[in-house]
Amino acid sequence: MSFYLKTFPLAVILQLIFSELLTFNGYQANIMLLFVILSSMPLENNTSQSTINGFLVGLFSDFVLFSGVYLGVSSLVFSICGFWASKVSHNFAFRNFDLYWIAFVHLGIAVYSLFRYDYFFFNDFFLFLSNYFFVTYFTCFVGFLLIRIFSLKEVILNA
Amino acid sequence: MSRLQIIFKDYQDKISLVLCVVISFFLIFNNDSDVIKKSKVNSLNTFSFLYAPFNWLDNQLFLTKKLEVLSSENLKLNLENQVLKVHENENIRYREFLNFKKRDNFSFIGADVISKGVSSNMSSIMINRGIKDGIQINDPVLTSRGVIGKITSISTNSAEVQLISDVNFRLSVKIVPDDVEGILRWIGDNNCEIVELKKISDIKIGDVVLTSNLSIYFPPNLPIGEVIGIFEKSDSSNKVVRMKLYSDLSTINQLFVVQKGSNL
Repeated sequence: MSFYLKTFPLAVILQLIFSELLTFNGYQANIMLLFVILSSMPLENNTSQSTINGFLVGLFSDFVLFSGVYLGVSSLVFSICGFWASKVSHNFAFRNFDLYWIAFVHLGIAVYSLFRYDYFFFNDFFLFLSNYFFVTYFTCFVGFLLIRIFSLKEVILNA
Repeated sequence: MSRLQIIFKDYQDKISLVLCVVISFFLIFNNDSDVIKKSKVNSLNTFSFLYAPFNWLDNQLFLTKKLEVLSSENLKLNLENQVLKVHENENIRYREFLNFKKRDNFSFIGADVISKGVSSNMSSIMINRGIKDGIQINDPVLTSRGVIGKITSISTNSAEVQLISDVNFRLSVKIVPDDVEGILRWIGDNNCEIVELKKISDIKIGDVVLTSNLSIYFPPNLPIGEVIGIFEKSDSSNKVVRMKLYSDLSTINQLFVVQKGSNL
């Protein structure tokens, strides 16, 4: 839990940097989603705590950081990701760390896109997919860099 | 320990997930309620200070580049203005001849972007103008290049602008010189699609897209973008046009709100 609290302000600052200064074609990396997934991993034996944390971070994002997206979408996505991210065993996460968080980024942004690009989903599925993949891979790319630069794998698994 | 407590302990994880999901869906389905709209605008307004240093940095980083672009645009516009002045005088004279109703000038309120929102790509932004500046819901919003969105919610000192890049945004537009009318929707990046255009209409690449006379909220003839592609579907009696916005959605810092009553 202390890891969660310590890294939360950092995640907010990083998200603001990416949304204000480092957008790519208007797309932004979803750092808050990365934060929820990565900081839920040390909460292996406390899934309900991780789910509620995800929900609260989502609510904060929707109220304070987000604009233009349905209120409640982030809390929905982050609670689901928080729940599943804390379900996996330490050994599995140790062996398949990258695969693990990348899979959850895909899952989170898929749910997100269903609400964000609902119109495209029903009317132009190709555009829906292109938007989904763009946001997902931009987030994965940023996540990959952050994990390598700050050696987050060791920090998270030892937390 | 009672049976209920044992069940709760056994299924604690799942119960908390279900509760969070139910509350989230409750919020999603009540997004249109006034309480949620107001609390969202107020919370964004309260925490807008978080964005201030990043906006300042953004302005500083791109100031020289912006100045360069503005100077060249200014020169171009000055030259165009000279020609347009002559046409305007001529036009006014003809309108007087034919007893046409006199047109009013637009009145703009300048605004700074205080939050671009942390969504996977921008669909709305916050500006530092609100009710006290005379802004109203559904007022059109422009950059120096063209239309970019409209006001969707408002508080005393700030307002939320729904951008063209919101997938739910629709705008009635016309393509000049032939005045062909259609409906605009965003498709990605700085590109939009115009649908419901008659197949027989004569549209060319490079034609200018303006707001049409049919919109309730947008005054006619505001610039939006230019045509970059024309598609005809064999199974439809309509054409689809792809256009590029004049405004760059990824670099919005200063905006102008068209005040209601100025030309409507």
